[in-house]
Amino acid sequence: MATRNRTPLFRKYRDALRHVRAPAGAPSASSSSSSPGGGPAVVEMASLLRPDRNYAPLSTDDPSASSRGAATVGLPPAWVDVSEEISANMQRAKTKMAELAKAHAKALMPSFGDGRDDQRAIEILTHEITDLLKRSEKKLQKLSMKDSSEDSNVRKNVQRSLATDLQTLSMEFRKKQSTYLKQLRQQKEGQDGVDLEMNMNGSKSTFELEDDEFEDVGFTEVQMSKLKKSEAFTREREREIEQVAQSVNELAQIMKDLSVLVIDQGTIVDRIDYNVQNVAASVEEGYKQLQKAERTQKKGGMVMCATVLVILIFILIILLVLKKILF
Amino acid sequence: MVLIPLIRDYIDRMLQDISGMKVLILDPQTVGMVSVVYSQSDLLRKEVFLVETVDDASSSRASMAHLKAVYFLRPSSDNVQKLRRHLSAPRFAECHLFFSNILKIPQIQVLADSDEQEVVQQIQEFYADFCAIDPFHFTLNIHNNHIYMLPTVVDPPGMQSFCDRAVDGIASVFLALKRRPVIRYQRTSDVAKRIAQETSRLMYEQESGLFDFRRTENSSLLLVIDRRDDPVTPLLNQWTYQAMVHELIGIENNKVDLKEFANVPKDQQEVVLSAVQDDFFRVNMFENFGDLGMNVKRMVDDFQHLSKSSQNFQSIDDMAKFVSNYPEYRKTHGNVTKHVALVSEMSRMVEERKLMQVSQTEQELACASGQAAAFEAVTSLLNNESVSDIDRLRLVMLYALRYEKESPVQLMQLFNKLASRSAKYKSGLVQFLLKQAGVDKRTGDLYGNRDLLNIARNMARGLKVDTKVCPHSYVTFA
Repeated sequence: MATRNRTPLFRKYRDALRHVRAPAGAPSASSSSSSPGGGPAVVEMASLLRPDRNYAPLSTDDPSASSRGAATVGLPPAWVDVSEEISANMQRAKTKMAELAKAHAKALMPSFGDGRDDQRAIEILTHEITDLLKRSEKKLQKLSMKDSSEDSNVRKNVQRSLATDLQTLSMEFRKKQSTYLKQLRQQKEGQDGVDLEMNMNGSKSTFELEDDEFEDVGFTEVQMSKLKKSEAFTREREREIEQVAQSVNELAQIMKDLSVLVIDQGTIVDRIDYNVQNVAASVEEGYKQLQKAERTQKKGGMVMCATVLVILIFILIILLVLKKILF
Repeated sequence: MVLIPLIRDYIDRMLQDISGMKVLILDPQTVGMVSVVYSQSDLLRKEVFLVETVDDASSSRASMAHLKAVYFLRPSSDNVQKLRRHLSAPRFAECHLFFSNILKIPQIQVLADSDEQEVVQQIQEFYADFCAIDPFHFTLNIHNNHIYMLPTVVDPPGMQSFCDRAVDGIASVFLALKRRPVIRYQRTSDVAKRIAQETSRLMYEQESGLFDFRRTENSSLLLVIDRRDDPVTPLLNQWTYQAMVHELIGIENNKVDLKEFANVPKDQQEVVLSAVQDDFFRVNMFENFGDLGMNVKRMVDDFQHLSKSSQNFQSIDDMAKFVSNYPEYRKTHGNVTKHVALVSEMSRMVEERKLMQVSQTEQELACASGQAAAFEAVTSLLNNESVSDIDRLRLVMLYALRYEKESPVQLMQLFNKLASRSAKYKSGLVQFLLKQAGVDKRTGDLYGNRDLLNIARNMARGLKVDTKVCPHSYVTFA
């Protein structure tokens, strides 16, 4: 596609005009148009400018420099900090989710050890991520409660974009968790059989080392310990699955809350011109309401009462002073 | 050769190099151009958190110095004046100016003069000066384009601005496509000649450096045709989806306003019909009404099936799946409701205004011959109470265009009947139409009855009776 950059031309004119506007001798507009030193280009431009414009000379401590300072990026309002915190939180959650994916994969690989460290690491990571997401959501809600009026539109739009990102993050997280859950359940069914085998083998080897005198009692004991171990194992797995299911539910709750904030794509609310019109309409409405409020306030009895009371106070103070003086 | 990605690319390029929070300032026409191709959520993804129009009185608003301003305006003198006011009291940290067409040197000088605080970082010309409604269809949204029908002797002041706008729009389309076309125009039309000549002067003489693109094998052709050469097509009732909605309800910038119709659900009062965002619409845009009804019914059945299956939750798995698919579900629900509302409104109007009968007569007027039968049909429909005023006017116009010379007496009868039925449509309207687009003014053979061979063919065809709803095909393909 074709484009054309007019910036160099613009800059050239701007610089030339700046020099015309403030040379060291401070001529006024009329004399600058007649001065020969400008050259034809400058004369042509000066004739374009309004004749009544007064070009004051630039003094050493010029006020324009301070206004130029105001033109640089000023201090943003406080809610921008909150929004930046939220986006930083979401970044952290993203990196943690990548770690979690790795931990999931490691835990699902068949291993001879107990895998309890892996489980704990997964639990910790899951908690952290859910925590981060919950905190981000709370902060997002807080963002809407503050009632600064000037840039409420900007704030609303920032909120919307953060809500969309947060929602996609939560959905990704939930999908990862549910796949992990499914694979865990599959493994549990398969693995229990394998585990029992291993338990039996382990206990058999210890049994062979022991004395033959304990054969009868030992056998039942071995059975009991086998049962206990498998029970404990099953209970642990159940607990894990419950935890994962619980975090799934929590996230579902967050998603429900967020869905109110997020725009549906393709609807009329997603159109720029609809939003611009509505902003204009509501700003006008707000202005009218403000005017009405001002009028009623002025007319209202409150102002009358207040002025009367103030006058009374003054009179009484004067009387007091008079009393002191006379007596 | 699709137009929508071109404008999207321009807007992407505007926004991508500028970091930080941005505000986008548009003028009333570029708002339409941008909203058709870019959605609010796309803007939010590019960190544009506020959209304003350049008319907003800048003095009364507080300054938001943590935002950078991106202006996308048409290079009209109005906009330049408003920009001067903005620049002399800047509210934002930086200003990046993008104009949708070619800037004149004095305008740049004026802007350079008013930029005392040096907030302007760049000025570029991004040639996106048209409203890309569909991939192969754009409009310039010129609202007073009836002005070109006034005789050029009068030469109203609006005529020059109309021509300028048309030339600007065409030039920007070709700049965006990076082609320089061969220009052909309709000989008999003054307006077409004027526009073609001005475009050619712009492309080949004034800005030939800008338009100097690499020559491709098949060079493009710009064909400038006057609508008055085929006045019949816009008068006919349409039966394909997009055309029908525009005819009966009205589409503007891909938005349809349903506020005036009763029993429309609250969230469907204004809907978006865009081929890019809506798959069902893209498939069914050019389907006729019957097929469309069947497709809508199929869509509703699918959706009911989907919603019923998601109602029985067998386990936590099902619930989790439903929650994760909920956004999709909601979007489909909205889409289905929208199309059902549109189709039901249109079929109600077809019933009320007896459009089936009216359209059959219109098609016969356009294609078949047989003056007496046509006269009978038109008279009976004029007497029919449920036919609306605009349809009556259309029927008389179509009859007049077809049988202008054949029996003036019957034509006058029809005029009088029309005037008596609908008070606001005086017979002068139809006569104006005949003056603008009558047999003398048209060049081509609109009805296929000018030369002997065609007359013979028509007589032979008239012996067979064949009823079809849409036998009329547009003359461009002839």
